[in-house]
Amino acid sequence: MDVLASLAGGFATALEAQNILFLLAGCLLGLIIGVLPGLGGTSGVAILLPISVYIASANSPTTAIIFLAGIYWGALFGGVVTSILFNIPGEPWAVALLFDGYPLAKRKGKPGVALSSSFLASWVGAFFATILLTFLAKELADVALHFGPAELFAVFFLSFATLIGLGAESPLKAVMMVAFGLLLAAIGFDSITGEPRLAFGQIGLLSGIGFVPVTIGLFGIGEIIASADEAGIGYVEKIAARVGLKDVLETLAALRTRIWLVIANGVIGFFFGSLPGHGATAGSFLGYGLARQWSRNKQDFGKGEISGIMAPQAAADASAVGSLVPMLALGVPGSPTSAVMMAGLFIWGLQPGPLLFIEHPDFVWGLMASIYLGHFFTFLICLTAVPLLALIMRAPHGILTPFIVVISVIGAYSLNNEMKDVAITIVFGIIGYWLRKMKYPLAPLVVALVLGDSTERELRKALIGSQGEWSIFVTSPISAALIGLGIVLLAIPLLGRLRRRAAGAGISPGAAA
Amino acid sequence: MRPYQVATAAIFVLIAAVAMFDTRSGALPTSAAGVPGGLRGGWYPFWSAAVIALAGIAVAVRSLRSPQADEGVFKDRSAVGDVARFILPMALAAYLMSDKLMGFYLASGTYIAYYAGVVARYRWYWAALAGIVIPVVIYLVFEVGFKAFLPKSVFYPTAPF
Repeated sequence: MDVLASLAGGFATALEAQNILFLLAGCLLGLIIGVLPGLGGTSGVAILLPISVYIASANSPTTAIIFLAGIYWGALFGGVVTSILFNIPGEPWAVALLFDGYPLAKRKGKPGVALSSSFLASWVGAFFATILLTFLAKELADVALHFGPAELFAVFFLSFATLIGLGAESPLKAVMMVAFGLLLAAIGFDSITGEPRLAFGQIGLLSGIGFVPVTIGLFGIGEIIASADEAGIGYVEKIAARVGLKDVLETLAALRTRIWLVIANGVIGFFFGSLPGHGATAGSFLGYGLARQWSRNKQDFGKGEISGIMAPQAAADASAVGSLVPMLALGVPGSPTSAVMMAGLFIWGLQPGPLLFIEHPDFVWGLMASIYLGHFFTFLICLTAVPLLALIMRAPHGILTPFIVVISVIGAYSLNNEMKDVAITIVFGIIGYWLRKMKYPLAPLVVALVLGDSTERELRKALIGSQGEWSIFVTSPISAALIGLGIVLLAIPLLGRLRRRAAGAGISPGAAA
Repeated sequence: MRPYQVATAAIFVLIAAVAMFDTRSGALPTSAAGVPGGLRGGWYPFWSAAVIALAGIAVAVRSLRSPQADEGVFKDRSAVGDVARFILPMALAAYLMSDKLMGFYLASGTYIAYYAGVVARYRWYWAALAGIVIPVVIYLVFEVGFKAFLPKSVFYPTAPF
């Protein structure tokens, strides 16, 4: 009852006129920032942090945090637009949306359904995550503290195991792509010993290969090269941009049959987000993998399956909500964006951590109430804007094709302000085009590249903690259970292959390997 | 299709071999003092590369032994030309975007105008307009609006781009 009373007080604070105004402004700005390549929630919050200082002094820190949180939610929703319409991920967690979002918009000609599905799943996932945040913030922060390196490594292993299934037609090629992603992630300085690896004397390689330029190249540039090959130069597949109430109703009908999937991914994403330093990206990949494993229509994944959009998006948005848990309860940032928000708290004279609940209840509960409101507002804004967003794809191909190349370059360059990343994007665009022709699955490569660094770090930290004893991964019950589950998931496609072989079924040419 | 499948797998095996050679000194866990967790920096990339090599060999063998599709990799000869005509100007534009050369705005404007005029065969004035308007909008949004700076040309700071 205490929680409900506090939440009611929070809604009273959040519904004050100036708070609603700044929440709406934040959501709109975040949406615009999220749509722009190279800019996302973290950069958006960082850019507007100085403004929040004025807001905090003119109104209150509660108004300022509501404004920044609005930017965060808006950017989360906006980041999906380029993934779905251009096949270019705005944010790392939006990579999972490429697998089915773009095919649904392109091959099935339903950009409105693809965007609405993502927005709706974001809202529902975040809604359930916010309920969990409201009631379990403190308790979950304590549980997250018990997730050590062995458990985190097991989580990453499980992510890879679920994604190997993505290459169901060619599991060997999927394994190859995972290992290639892990190898690329290892280029540069070893984060534990500081040894240079695989740099071959090139200073530029010592800082490693970022996953953003690689992903933009593989999916954005690779796709338009493939279009030039398949349909002639200058061709970009037209996407019917008519979006109406019918699309929204279709999305609602799709959600009805997937509501438990979305809620489950919201819960999983929330828990991932509450692990300090591990946010939306791992959650969205695991969400995608689990959705595929649970689905009866595995063959539809990668071809525009709505579950492949809703599951990762619900997990990603819920992770963002979950990333506030360690910030509020422990004073530790749960994600890069919440780290910037924490900087705001310090600037406004607040100390993040458990004492916030006691010393500044208006602030904490006002923020929590604003999360419910902010997601709802952003959802409504996005739904209204879907026709406008989908109209982008009606631009003539002679403009759209070079425009995609140009925004891909901006997305790659603005990561570190280095032309090296632009070169990586172009090179991986060509590689992605060729791998696609050779029927290699690209998703496992990107996932392994994104998670590779964290996987190695947690693996080695676990071994350092156990003084080289590998048994650490089975003596921890959580780790043992997750690794066991991963092995079972890995075995499923192999068993399926053996069963098909026993039944004498043929193997499709080209995909056989 | 078969030779291309085998060649692609062979390239991966070659990449893996180079990576394994470069990281061979850390390949095996050790109990030597001063090595945290018993693993050197090369352990992780070495075994990742080993997995690539093993899977690559298996893919190549399977490609040789399994039935392959009859069609070639490219639809016809013109498809090769289309791909080359797309990739080369794009790569050139990306190279020229460096701040020691044309910079982002001049190079992207030229590339957009080239694409619209030469490839899509728009009238020259529409192509020129696209080549000017899009970089200007990008400049206003990124440089002015969000203070996100993109590479400038050799003419900077005399010219704003």
